[in-house]
Amino acid sequence: MSRLVAIITAPDAATRDQEMAPICERSTVAELSAECEALEQFRRQSGNLYERVRALFFLAAIHRYHLPPKLAVDSSGRVPYAGHEHLLERRFEEAIAEFAQAAKQQGPSEPVSMALAAAYRGLAFQTLADQVRYSVRSLRGNQWMFRMGHVLDYPLQIRPELLAVTDGRFPVLVESTPVRMDLSHSAWSDIFFLGMDYPEGARVVNVSVDLCVRGTAARPQPPIQTFLRVIDEPVLRLVSVDLAAQVELTEMQEVFDFGRDYLGLIKAAIIASGLIPAGLEGSGQSLAALLARLTGKPGHGLEISSAVHNIPKGSRLAVSTNLLASLIAVAMRATRQIDSLNGGLAEAERRLVAARAILGEWIGGSGGGWQDSGGVWPGIKLIEGATANEGDPEFGISRGRLLPQHRVLGLDAVPAETRQRLQDSLVLVHGGMAQDVGPILEMVTERYLLRLQPEWQSRQQARRIVDDILGSLHIGDLQNTGRILQSNYEGPIQSIIPWAGNYYTDSLIAQMQQQFGRRFWGFWMLGGMAGGGMGFVFHPEVKAQAQDALWSVMRATKKRLEPAVPFGMDPVVYDFAINENGTWAQLRTGAEALLTPGYYALRLPSLIRRELRTLSAGQRAELGGVAQATLDQPAFSGIANALIEQMLPRQQSGPAEQERALDDLLAQHGFDREQHEHIRAELKSGRVGLAQNVLPRSTSIEDVRPSEVTDSRSGLAAKYRTLGEAALGRGEVGVLTLAGGAGSRWTGGAGVVKALHPFCRMAGAYRTFLEIHLAKSRRTQRDWGRSVPHIFTTSYLTQDPIAAHLEHHAHYGYPPEQLYLSPGRSIGLRLIPTARDLRFLWEQTPQQTLDQQKQKVRESGRAALLGWAQQAGEATDYRDNLPTQCVHPVGHWYEFPNLLLNGVLHQVLQQSPQLKHLLLHNVDTLGADLDPSVLGLHLARGSALSVEVIARSAEDRGGGLARVDGRLRLVEGLAMPDERLEFELSYYNSGTMWLDIDRLLAVFGLDRTTLADSAKVTRAVRRLAARMPTYITIKDAKKRWGRGQEDVYPVSQFEKIWGDMTALSEVDAQYLVVTRRRGQQLKQVAQLDGWLRDGSAAYVEGLGEWP
Amino acid sequence: MSFERQANQINSMTVKKGLITAAGDRERRIPLQTLVDSDGTARTVLAMLVNEMAAAGIEDIGIVIPVGQSEEFQATVAAAPARVQLFEQREARGYAGALWTARDFLAGQPFLHLVGDHVYVPGRDQRLAGQLVAIATQRQCSVSAVQPTHESQLTRFGVIGGRPVADQIGLYHVDAVAEKPTPTAAEQSLIVGGLRAGHYLAFFGMHVWTPAVLELLAETMRGAAPVSEALHRLSARERYLAWNAPGHRYDLGPRYGLLQAQLALGLSGDDREEVLAALVGLIATHGHSTSERRPS
Repeated sequence: MSRLVAIITAPDAATRDQEMAPICERSTVAELSAECEALEQFRRQSGNLYERVRALFFLAAIHRYHLPPKLAVDSSGRVPYAGHEHLLERRFEEAIAEFAQAAKQQGPSEPVSMALAAAYRGLAFQTLADQVRYSVRSLRGNQWMFRMGHVLDYPLQIRPELLAVTDGRFPVLVESTPVRMDLSHSAWSDIFFLGMDYPEGARVVNVSVDLCVRGTAARPQPPIQTFLRVIDEPVLRLVSVDLAAQVELTEMQEVFDFGRDYLGLIKAAIIASGLIPAGLEGSGQSLAALLARLTGKPGHGLEISSAVHNIPKGSRLAVSTNLLASLIAVAMRATRQIDSLNGGLAEAERRLVAARAILGEWIGGSGGGWQDSGGVWPGIKLIEGATANEGDPEFGISRGRLLPQHRVLGLDAVPAETRQRLQDSLVLVHGGMAQDVGPILEMVTERYLLRLQPEWQSRQQARRIVDDILGSLHIGDLQNTGRILQSNYEGPIQSIIPWAGNYYTDSLIAQMQQQFGRRFWGFWMLGGMAGGGMGFVFHPEVKAQAQDALWSVMRATKKRLEPAVPFGMDPVVYDFAINENGTWAQLRTGAEALLTPGYYALRLPSLIRRELRTLSAGQRAELGGVAQATLDQPAFSGIANALIEQMLPRQQSGPAEQERALDDLLAQHGFDREQHEHIRAELKSGRVGLAQNVLPRSTSIEDVRPSEVTDSRSGLAAKYRTLGEAALGRGEVGVLTLAGGAGSRWTGGAGVVKALHPFCRMAGAYRTFLEIHLAKSRRTQRDWGRSVPHIFTTSYLTQDPIAAHLEHHAHYGYPPEQLYLSPGRSIGLRLIPTARDLRFLWEQTPQQTLDQQKQKVRESGRAALLGWAQQAGEATDYRDNLPTQCVHPVGHWYEFPNLLLNGVLHQVLQQSPQLKHLLLHNVDTLGADLDPSVLGLHLARGSALSVEVIARSAEDRGGGLARVDGRLRLVEGLAMPDERLEFELSYYNSGTMWLDIDRLLAVFGLDRTTLADSAKVTRAVRRLAARMPTYITIKDAKKRWGRGQEDVYPVSQFEKIWGDMTALSEVDAQYLVVTRRRGQQLKQVAQLDGWLRDGSAAYVEGLGEWP
Repeated sequence: MSFERQANQINSMTVKKGLITAAGDRERRIPLQTLVDSDGTARTVLAMLVNEMAAAGIEDIGIVIPVGQSEEFQATVAAAPARVQLFEQREARGYAGALWTARDFLAGQPFLHLVGDHVYVPGRDQRLAGQLVAIATQRQCSVSAVQPTHESQLTRFGVIGGRPVADQIGLYHVDAVAEKPTPTAAEQSLIVGGLRAGHYLAFFGMHVWTPAVLELLAETMRGAAPVSEALHRLSARERYLAWNAPGHRYDLGPRYGLLQAQLALGLSGDDREEVLAALVGLIATHGHSTSERRPS
């Protein structure tokens, strides 16, 4: 029997919890292949969900981490396009079949193995997500919502208390809900999949809290309020006060359209509460008829609104889940699915609300942990996984239930004094970082199922920490609690997921330790990762002082790091109080039947602008009520001013200043207005665009022959090394790192300097991309005793921050005279895309399909973006954002010409006249270094360009090395006339090239002596630029607004690509196949974990000399 | 109730008393409405109910009526085939108050209870109340007639949760009773095996209850749904069965409730052909929706 299948099916926990890696490491390729076959058979036969999923993760791990290193380094294989297509469309089984067939036919290879790994991993997560969906839909109390599809079957009715009109107004039902903070989540044990497989390990200590931003309110309040009332219009009116968004829905289908406005969460809550049951989607039923049946009053409707008071996005306090729960609770109360209209909830009702919140998250395409709706419960509670029993939908499928059990801790477990001490000692903050926790949760799930050691040991440690925290709270020892919380962060949390911590957080902790010494008791990571919501525990004596200190330290640190690290907002410090009620309702009637002042500031302008006679009776009565409230309720006294501000807006200074700053930025960085207008005209007329990027269909594109490349992967002849070493010894080689880009895939369009992101711990400290590249050059200097000129190309975005950063870090000890910055000399202004290009991008370019609900949300969002592009004006300038988000670098073809235009190459050659070659690479190609053997190969052939390529894997998208109409060259993905062709190419462009400076200058029509002649240089660059193709691309640009909210807009920009130099007949290029470790680029944060686990990070660490 | 008394009562349970509640707000006029019964005779709703009881062997019938309407009610039951007593409900305490009004009349005996705003149409020839009494007598316990009801209608009825009795199809042990549950609540505690999806066993308005019901009602009187709560407690205290009655009940309260009941009576009785012909004629004349009608 297979040893790995035996681990999965072992009845005893000790065997079952074994790691697979040691077995894989000892196995041969043949043995691993046999294991794969056994696992594949097993996962098809097993009826147990978790056995199947664990087998899938085992298969993914073997193909991703264990098999490739055992294959011959030059094993090559082609990923079949059909399989890739299946993968994009989430047809994982079909993809696996295609890839497995390819492996059988071609023999095992790294590219096909990686593709199989991706398909197995995708299928594993899909299987788990399907199970959550199944469980949440089959929970009793939820099923009816999915089977009803006609208004005549609609079973809910508004309670009569909500229909009792007083003074022309309907009562208002208000739900006030705290948020939750976790003292510990036992290493993310709140992920559904973990709780369902390992209920005994799923334990969370969770506290419901009221909050206010320090200095903005008298005392902490439940931060979430939701409101429901009947209105005398046959519409469903949704209002989000904090997002300043409102909509009146008149069609049933609009309720199910989540992406078109900012009210998707309220819509999800309406569906999950049963108010508009999920079964009505696509039914074509009349919303007005349903509202009439619901209210019992034809011509009437409902208004549901929400207000989140001053809590920014990414707070790690589960605001969105608790907001969802609050909305669901208020709607369930109104329809008698919850008994009371006032006060708290019974335990069974809380559980139902929590289950519906999970359903709402699935409907809305978001996700959270099972403890996230903790704010519904009062005070401090222990939430634990529960074993599935007969009658549970999970019984026989998984060991645990989807829904955990909550034990509210009484005063005997956590005495009143301890609660007070907790409030006196804890400083709660939002650090301001904007992060996506999703990838972290996937990593946790994968590691758990693989039982990676020592992560598994850390998980056990995290379980024990919960007991330590409870013990410490019981005796009221907050100092010890602080110590445990910090040891949890530094120990299990980061040992399981190193990416949960970051440089910013560590820097704050260090500064607090420095300022407060022993009176700083510990750090507390809230939620999935550090940097957003966080806690710092202090001696009560210094709490106020620490609040001030943290506020200024966070702001100063953010200011220093924000060019490199994506911050969503300015940091804030909260005041908080434990909420001992949980979610709480109040029915406001008569004169009290009002919403918040913020609601009226948003709603009233549109009412006041209308003629009185066009208002409904209810609207007139409401206006009267608000007028009265402004006289006798202090909270409403500011409404008049707010209304005047809204209705008579003053000339805003912000946008005008922004416009000027943008114009200045363009002027400073060589914006070519003429070229811009030309591109705009071409774009408008359809002469350029995404569809026009491609080469003519008649172009012949073929894969290279093996003889046309030099494969360095199994080592090169010693003579090359000798050649390279000699050149290094003579100081003939320098490095050119392209660091002008915004790394839009790295941060999803946040526009920060990727080169400066301290993204990873290496040699004991967080390191930036820039520092890692310098460490490699430093090592070369050490090894050969010669200085290595290292040039970083920069842009409008990166020049100043990189210069300041190098200054701040004393150039990381690199000789300043050998360190150059080459400022960009070209800049483009982004354009609003044409609808034609957007459609091409979304409909004709193969794209990764998302999970069912997420895909629906995405498609609805895309429809809204198409509308935006058409309304804002296709191909008009994109100016409605921060200046740096409106401009763009014009592609890295310009990077080398910039060196000529800005005089940096001239300067370098003056200082180092012996310099003859440059290694050009992207900032994210961390494995690229001055390897003497590869260099020797470049020298031996004497080419102007020696291009490093890597064997293509399925994730390497964007062209490659090809024979195009008979000429060997790099071809861009954008230029590929058919997506399939790319899959026929064996090699992918790593972006790394060796340049022979003199030969390249000759291509420009220049030499060393003419570099000082700026006019000549300019003419030379312009001449060559004109021969280079221009590509239109669509990138994501983030626009931030409100409190940590952000929208992502697609924007058009143009680029010229350096790889196209290989198409020029006068450029002599050779192609070297290098290892993946050397050639892979880190484009997305999601790649980091694999990069660390497959040994690539250690490889890079070994290349550098670290100060 | 003491164990001894309960045992005596169970050993000797015969049902000779009946109670009709006809005092509710919405029932105020309904029991006095005249319909054509399935035998072609015009009768008031109340007279139909009294006949149903008498046919079930009930000898003493109590009717709870609104204050000040004795004369009208008396007139309609003057020719009743059983002894009838009227009780005016003086306190506005709803359905539970109506039952409570007749507590002395019932005097610790099991009784058949029908609500005054329903009409019952049996599926076969045998009368439904008679079958219900027979079951209660045979099983020596409280039995409520129930009918599978779609979840969209639950807000109008009391609903039971239970499990089938092993030896007889259509009989259920009652484990829970809830008043007008939402489908959310129904799905959690009132699902009964063997029914169509989304259907629950809702009361038929026809019960045989042991005296324990009134004793429990004394405890639950202050609650929001005293009768359902009392019955819920009854299910925990003694054997309580539900019978899936093979006929149909027609609630006369909703819009077109009387019309539906009349049609059902007509179609199930001697005048079926005549009623069918009238219906077909109506459909032929008025069957098109307004928008589809064309001038002739």
